[in-house]
Formats: sequence, C-alpha cells, structure tokens
Amino acid sequence: MGFLTILKKLRQKEKEMRILMLGLDNAGKTTILKRFNGEPIDTISPTLGFNIKTLEHRGFKLNIWDVGGQKSLRSYWKNYFESTDGVAWVVDSADARRLADCARELHSLLREERLAGATLLVLANKADLPGALSLQEIREALDLDSIKTHHWRIVRCSAVTGENLLDGMDWMLDDIASRIFTLD
Amino acid sequence: MSIAIRTAFWVVTFGGLGLALFKVVKPDDELLKKFDESSKHTDTRKFSHDTIAILKQATDQSSELKRLSKRDAQRLEKIQKAHKAREEVNVSNENEDYFAGAFKIKSESIEDLLSQVPTLEINILPSHFDNIKREVNELQKYVVTSSFFLKEFNMRKYLGIVQNLQTKCYELEDRYAPRKKFGFTRKKLPKSHCEKQNSLDENDGAGKTDSNKWDEKLFGFDNKENVLLMLENNELYQRDVTLHNLKNCTIGLKGVMGTLHLTNLDNCIILSGPVTSSVFVEKCTHCKIVTACQQLRMHTSHKCDIYLHVTSKGIVEDCTEIRTAPYNLYYQDLEKHFNMSSLDKNVNNWNSLDDFNWLAPDVPSPNWSILDATQRISNWNDWWFRVPS
Repeated sequence: MGFLTILKKLRQKEKEMRILMLGLDNAGKTTILKRFNGEPIDTISPTLGFNIKTLEHRGFKLNIWDVGGQKSLRSYWKNYFESTDGVAWVVDSADARRLADCARELHSLLREERLAGATLLVLANKADLPGALSLQEIREALDLDSIKTHHWRIVRCSAVTGENLLDGMDWMLDDIASRIFTLD
Repeated sequence: MSIAIRTAFWVVTFGGLGLALFKVVKPDDELLKKFDESSKHTDTRKFSHDTIAILKQATDQSSELKRLSKRDAQRLEKIQKAHKAREEVNVSNENEDYFAGAFKIKSESIEDLLSQVPTLEINILPSHFDNIKREVNELQKYVVTSSFFLKEFNMRKYLGIVQNLQTKCYELEDRYAPRKKFGFTRKKLPKSHCEKQNSLDENDGAGKTDSNKWDEKLFGFDNKENVLLMLENNELYQRDVTLHNLKNCTIGLKGVMGTLHLTNLDNCIILSGPVTSSVFVEKCTHCKIVTACQQLRMHTSHKCDIYLHVTSKGIVEDCTEIRTAPYNLYYQDLEKHFNMSSLDKNVNNWNSLDDFNWLAPDVPSPNWSILDATQRISNWNDWWFRVPS
C-alpha cells in the first residue's frame, strides 16, 4: 500500500454521498431503488425496516437508504438523518387522497435540524398512471414553494417505466456536489 | 597497586563483618536512636544511617509483596463469591418466562387495587392511590432493571402496560379524588391553533373528514349504503379505483385495476379481479374482501375476512381480528384478466402476512389468523347479486 493508494482512497471517500429515500407507504420508494440498481421490480414486498444500496453513478459513490414508510416506521426515520446529503421524497402521484398527509410529513421532515442543508428532490412517482395528478397540482398540494430552507426540485417520474428517474437523480447529485465537493 | 588491593580487602572484610553483625542484631528504631545518641562521629553515623535505611527498605519491600499477594487472594475470593451468588440468582430470576410471570402477577394485583377504587370511602382514597402509585413505580423499576435480558420489543410492550396502568390510575384519581389544583386562570389559546394541531394528529389518511379537494379526481364509489355496485373491465382497466365511505354494499369489480383503495367501509363485500400493484385497505370493519394483487397493505381495520392472492407480501398495521383465506373468486374472464395483470397465478403468499405491530419472530401475531377451512365461503356466485345482511 503506497502513498498513492492512500490518496486514492481518501479521494473516493470524498466522493461519497448519502441519500435518504423517504415518503408515505406505497409511494414506490423500494421500486425506485431497485429500478436504479437494475433489479427486478415485480416481487417487491412492503418494506419492513429499510433497504440500503451502494451504487456508483457518474463517479460518485451513492449510499441510498430506503426506509419503510408505514405509519409505525415513520417515528424511526429520525435515526437515519445523520450526515445525509440529499433527501429523495417520493410521492404517489395517483394517491390524491393522502396528499395532505404527505405534505404534513414532508414539512415536519424539513424542520429537522439534522437535515438542514440537505438537498431535496421530490419524485412525483407513478406519473404514468391514468389517474395521476399533474406536477403543478402536486407542487401546490405539497406547498413546495414555501420551502426556503433547502434546495429543492420536483420531478415527474415513473419507477415502472424508468422515465425521468435519472434526470432527477442527476440534478440532486449536481446540487450536492456543488455544495460539498467545491474543490473539484 | 598493592595499596589499592589492600584497601579493597579491608573494605570488603569490614563491610562483610558489619553486615553480619547487623543481621544478627536487627536494629529497630529505638536501638538506632540510642546508637545515634551514643555515636559522636557524625560521619560514621551518617554512613550507618544510610546503610540501615537501604536495608530496611529491602525488608519492607518483601513484606509489602506479601501483603499485596494476600490482598489479591482476598479480592479473588470476594469476586468468586459474588459471581456464585449472581449465578444462583441468574438461574432462577433472570429469564423472560420468570419475568413475564412475575410481571403478570404484579400488574394484576395493581389492576385489582384499581378496581377497588369505586367501592372505597373517600377519606381513605388518597392513601390508596399513593399505594397504587408506589406499586406502579416499583413495577416500572422492575421492568427497567430487567432490561438487560429482555428483548427490546418485549421491553416496550411491558413498559406500555405500565404506562397504561399509570394513566388509568391518574384518570381514576381525577374522577374519584380530585386534588385541588393550583394554577393561574388564563384565556384559552387561540382556537384555530388548537384545532389545527388536533386535526393534524388525528387525520392521518382519509380519516373522518374524508373530503378533500381532490375527491372529484377519484374514480370509484363514494358515500353509498345498501346497494349493489358493479364495474367492468373496460372502465377499470389499469386505473386507480377508490371505494370510499360505503356501508352494507356489495361491490363487484370484474376487471384489471392498477391500484385498489378501500377506505372507511363497513359490512361490505368486495369481489375484485386482479390488481396489478397494491390493494390499500384502511379503516374497514366487518368486510369480506376477495382480491388478487401484488401487495396488500392493511391499516386500522378490524374483523375482516380476506380471500387473498398476493404475489409478494401482505402487511397489516394497527389491525385486529383479520382472517385470511386463499383467493377463490371466479367469473368468466378472470383467467384472461389474470394474464393481462401479469400477476403470477402460481405464487400466492396469502398465509403469511407481516404485522408492523408485532415484530417478535418466534410468536405469531395475535392480530391476524388463517380462516378455518370449514368457515370459508367456497363459492361466491350468489354473492354478486345480494346486499350483505
């Protein structure tokens, strides 16, 4: 192990990002994660706990944490906040019924001190479904325009078709990178 | 040269003689003092003083070693004794079964005390409540001190029980022996603030208010009672279907749906074709749900029978008395619909639900069970056309 290897390792460490994937149950968090990772998505069970995937994308090492969204698990979300660089908030665009709920959980999340400074990417998932709400409607329902504390963006996507997933992720990576890897 | 040798010889001889003499006499402090007094040659005195100090140190060290080793032995013995004592306790007291038993006895005795409250005279009530509180505190202490051998989940369960007892005690005390409270009277908080807080806490999901501005976007049925409802595949195909606030209804859904939401249903029968992704059940009571899906998610529902085909996993949360049976619906195009939904007909996990309120892996959840084969409805053909009684 030479000096160069040490340097290389340090550099790799530098390029690591921790991304937390949250949202109500049945929003499609695990499906998005598996889709990213190229795994089959037709055998996914409701998440009893959490999944973690480490994957390489554009030279960044992403640690993506997908924590279950059931009501009884939401109180445990806070255990995952530490040193999170980005939050991917997943919304079921077709579930108009629970949007108010979703908005409330999101805003209480953003008040968390430990998430201050994290980039927020809102993934309006299931946009391919016939009953899906438009981006504008979701943006209003979640009251996104009131968010001043975080860099945020909302992206229409579908985990099933894969549409727009990468675009959203790329924006988040760029935003995080511009914040924490200023030397590059 | 020879002078040097000679000096060395004399020094060694006298030194040896002196040492021997010293060993024989073993001077103690008094003797030394005497020697000091009597000796007039200060140089000699100093020299002998030093020698004696060194020698004394040497003898001291050996005795200290002895003392140390003795103390060490004592310490070891003590530890061993404590160890033994603890082991004896261990065997009998420190396992979950023993704890569960002891806990039960204690909590039951507290319950007894609580149930006596209404029958007691007012003047002895305060001491009675003090007694109860002490018991509850003790119980809580017992749980907490047992935390090192209890499983986390059980620990939480027991603490929950203690908490319940505590609140019960306070409630009863408030009712039967209210204490005079000291406090400032003050104007009520601005009303809107309170209400908002409440509605935020309670209204998780569709909830009781059950109307929001997106309702007109939903596809399905809402607010009906005692009717037969039917939808065919041309309307249903891959849509999000929502059944909402229904009572005593039979709902037939002969088609492939994207997602199926069942909210606030009471005494309903839902006969559904395959659902491509998930079935979402919330606040349903006394329902019979016949459905096929990839995921089943059930929340806050009670006394429901589910005839289920689920290809991944079903979960329940805050539910009680849920019973499951395998999917056994039949209608003419079912086979075709199954193929359209891309659900695997050969994979069905109807008999293993995950319960979010029951994380103990070794004990089955009390909140759901498998519906006994003799109690299952084997043929739904007649059920399509009649309203539940």
